[in-house]
Amino acid sequence: MTEFEPLLRMLSHRDVLSDDERELVSGLKRRVVRVPKGGALVATHSRPGESCLVFQGFTAREVFLKSGERQITAIHVPGDFVDLHALTLKTMDHSVVALSDCVAAFVPHHELLRVIDKSPHLGRLFWLSTVIDAAIQRAWIAGIGRRSSAEHLGHLVCELYCRLEAVGLTDGQSFRFPITQPELADILGLSLVHVNRTLQDLRRRGLIVWKGGTLTVPDLEGLAAMADFDPTYLNLVVEPR
Amino acid sequence: MPRYFIDTSDGDRSLRDEEGIELADDAAARLSALDALPDMARDVIPDGDERRLSVCVRNAESEVIYHATLTLAGRWEQDPHPQTAAPDGGV
Repeated sequence: MTEFEPLLRMLSHRDVLSDDERELVSGLKRRVVRVPKGGALVATHSRPGESCLVFQGFTAREVFLKSGERQITAIHVPGDFVDLHALTLKTMDHSVVALSDCVAAFVPHHELLRVIDKSPHLGRLFWLSTVIDAAIQRAWIAGIGRRSSAEHLGHLVCELYCRLEAVGLTDGQSFRFPITQPELADILGLSLVHVNRTLQDLRRRGLIVWKGGTLTVPDLEGLAAMADFDPTYLNLVVEPR
Repeated sequence: MPRYFIDTSDGDRSLRDEEGIELADDAAARLSALDALPDMARDVIPDGDERRLSVCVRNAESEVIYHATLTLAGRWEQDPHPQTAAPDGGV
């Protein structure tokens, strides 16, 4: 399995890829890097000449305030490019950190451009992945802005389940999510103490089980209903793009 | 780092912290506790007109070192009027 397997699985949930296209993606030149938990993948204000693709582990895009407080603005799972937009954005306005031990593939921009030239369809799919990132951000904004804490946390769990299922990283009702409560607080934009309360609330209601870094959702439909979760924004539908 | 226990109540549900968290010092524990108040308030307001939210910090010896309350005291000054029809005839 190449480092591009999760990416190909992720794209295959949105469109049909030809064998040539699969080969083009699998043949991308890359630099494979192991980044330990807490390590930086991309620095803010940098002008990367590569885009970083997650192969294993979880990464987060983060924004720091001068007070030292952090808001995590996105989570990336295997199969996600964390900064495909850097291809056009050029200068990064945020940094990317490993939330767990990670393996990432760094692909030079000129390689991505080469493949996009050969296959405009792949170019559109890469574009689609950044557009889906934006759709996820919209859902996160609505959550931070308007949802109750229980709904917000429940919504995040449902979203992660769907995204990880698409790349084959769920195990029945469970998935690995080895992050700490302080990191969860930075994702949800809530105080640590209230995140703890909210987690206990969802546990008490039998909606989530979180032990040893593994999250289990005994009743996904029930959790989705409580959290007002509608997976449409994840675009997990195969249609010509 | 010292361990602190932060108990909370949102007026409906009280939670005793059995696990605690490691924080730099007493001042950091106070901040952590107070940060929870607006988050709890956001989830429960406007359910009810009278509500008392509280946070309580215990140290590693389980002594209470800090306690804070946020109170909602709402009341009608006039009886609320029933909903009137909108100009287009809808409710």
